[in-house]
Amino acid sequence: MSFKTFTSADIASTRTLLHEVIPLTGTVVSGTYADNNIKNYTHGMFQSVYDYPYLSSSANHILDLTIGYSPISALSSSSATQNNKKINIYNQMAQVLMGFDVTGSIQKFDQDGNISTAGTKLNECVFFSFSRLLTKDEIKKGSFTLQFLTGGANTSPSDLKTISDYGATNDYRTNSPAGEFGILYTSSATPNTNSGVGLVYYQAGIAVLTASIFNGKFGPRSDTSTATGSINTYFQTGSISGSADGLRNRLYNIQFNNSTELNSSIYFCRANHNEFNYSSNPTYLSSGKITVKNISTDAPVSYITTIGLYGADQSLLAVAKLSEPLKKSVDNELTVRVRLDY
Amino acid sequence: MAFLDNSGDIILDAVLTDTGRLRLAQGNGSFKITQFAFGDDEINYGLYNKNHPSGSAYYDLDILQTPVFEAFTNNASSMKFQLISNVNTQLLYLPVMKLNTVDTEGTSFFSNASLSNTYLLPTPADYRNLSSSAGVLNSSPNSFDKKIVIDQGLDSNETDKTRLLSSVDSSLTETTFLIELNNNFVTLVDTLGNDIPLSYVDDDGIATYSVSYREGSTNVVSLLTADTSGDAGSSTLLNGTRDKRVSFKLKLKTDLTINNSLYERFGGTTTIITSNDYYYIDTFVTVKGATVGTQITIPIKIVKSV
Repeated sequence: MSFKTFTSADIASTRTLLHEVIPLTGTVVSGTYADNNIKNYTHGMFQSVYDYPYLSSSANHILDLTIGYSPISALSSSSATQNNKKINIYNQMAQVLMGFDVTGSIQKFDQDGNISTAGTKLNECVFFSFSRLLTKDEIKKGSFTLQFLTGGANTSPSDLKTISDYGATNDYRTNSPAGEFGILYTSSATPNTNSGVGLVYYQAGIAVLTASIFNGKFGPRSDTSTATGSINTYFQTGSISGSADGLRNRLYNIQFNNSTELNSSIYFCRANHNEFNYSSNPTYLSSGKITVKNISTDAPVSYITTIGLYGADQSLLAVAKLSEPLKKSVDNELTVRVRLDY
Repeated sequence: MAFLDNSGDIILDAVLTDTGRLRLAQGNGSFKITQFAFGDDEINYGLYNKNHPSGSAYYDLDILQTPVFEAFTNNASSMKFQLISNVNTQLLYLPVMKLNTVDTEGTSFFSNASLSNTYLLPTPADYRNLSSSAGVLNSSPNSFDKKIVIDQGLDSNETDKTRLLSSVDSSLTETTFLIELNNNFVTLVDTLGNDIPLSYVDDDGIATYSVSYREGSTNVVSLLTADTSGDAGSSTLLNGTRDKRVSFKLKLKTDLTINNSLYERFGGTTTIITSNDYYYIDTFVTVKGATVGTQITIPIKIVKSV
């Protein structure tokens, strides 16, 4: 059998970023499947959104919605519904995404991401945790866009706002324990330290929005009770899942590009003119004689369909197939480039 | 597996095999690609038409139109036949392996016409009743039991029988042979009945044994003698220049001598062998030359009376 050993010049390593566009229309998260694609849990800590009724095996988990506020928020009150859970959610998100200060206290979400200054903190937040199925390795910087109807009544929301990580391709932060993050701004705002409305964590696949961007009556669309008021009121009196319903009710569109980091090994399989010209295929011989030759001076010829990549012990570790046979003879040389992605 | 789309540019479909993924998961550095080989499993060289009326450009037209499968992930299913490198471009003959059914120490296939081209490997208890038939191997072999004998060399009477292959073209000789068999059923033993060390077993239970020629040794791999006395047909079925002989025996795994469940799972029952019912499992042994890659597959029927 003819194995040919790779030299160091035959193996190359590359890193490639693949991007996909992920569009999520608001109707998927509220409407299309009459909320059969929305899963609530008995613990009530968050709500999951699927791309199809979640009882179906075809359904894919696309994102989780939840809300929370910090222990120092004005909304924090022992009489508030699920008060502890809302604080717990905020603290959990903050400790993972913002980390701890030198005293071991959890950092608050910061409007401009600059935790070393006493800037504005985001104490009441809504959280979008996207499934890894969508974000893959990370959200591409500068591609994240949320569109919300931020005003009007919860039964007829209005006032479409576009929120995006404008300029994040070249302007993002790295001081999060969860990786890199960008500042979210509304389309009408001039990006500066006071105009951020949220943060997007690219590797974690989590967007954090301040609750203050919603200025209409907040709550699930079906809730026509007179008690329905501002988002602050609902955050106190409503449940987390009810707030998530309210968010879905106002969500118009989400779009971002994901990134997949492909690490590839490229193997250059080189067949010189005097190599691989014969075959051990049983049909290569007829009565012991080479089928493709009449006389000994005829040039031998073979046809490649498969490339086998082997370990030192001749165990077959990878296989590559050509879509059509390649002719190999003494008058040609071939280099087949086999790429394995990890 | 589907065929690859061959309507446009040539594409390359590469996958890790199950062995590759296993090694990767082990994380012990055993996944290291160091060499490659080319294969042509789908090609039927019988389609090469050296007498095509339209000329040499059309000789391989049918071969080049051969559809190619997607890559198999099973390591045992790909690269069955490798391309060979040999700097001598004037070779007209390549070695073959032929089962030797004429040597006195070997045996022909099982003599039952319905099971032609098969060796029978009964359990030791059944061997006593079947041993008088040709092609029946003792599954608990001793040195005097019949063995499987394979001869390797050129098979054309246009080649010189009076010389050995090593003196004609040493690049075509084999010194090491790989013997593959299903490790769930049988193990390999030499002609004296001694166990041969196992090289490795893959994830599908296929065991590979590596056996090499040692000068003067007649156990397992030996050198054939040139036909200077017109013995072709009586000592070997090779018609041309001879090289090596591989001889071995098979030992049945204990499970198959006492347990019927493996027969029920991998085989069935038959009455073809005698009028009695027998459990059977069909398997095979493949012998492959490590240099030229010539190979032969030998069918084995393991039987146990019901």
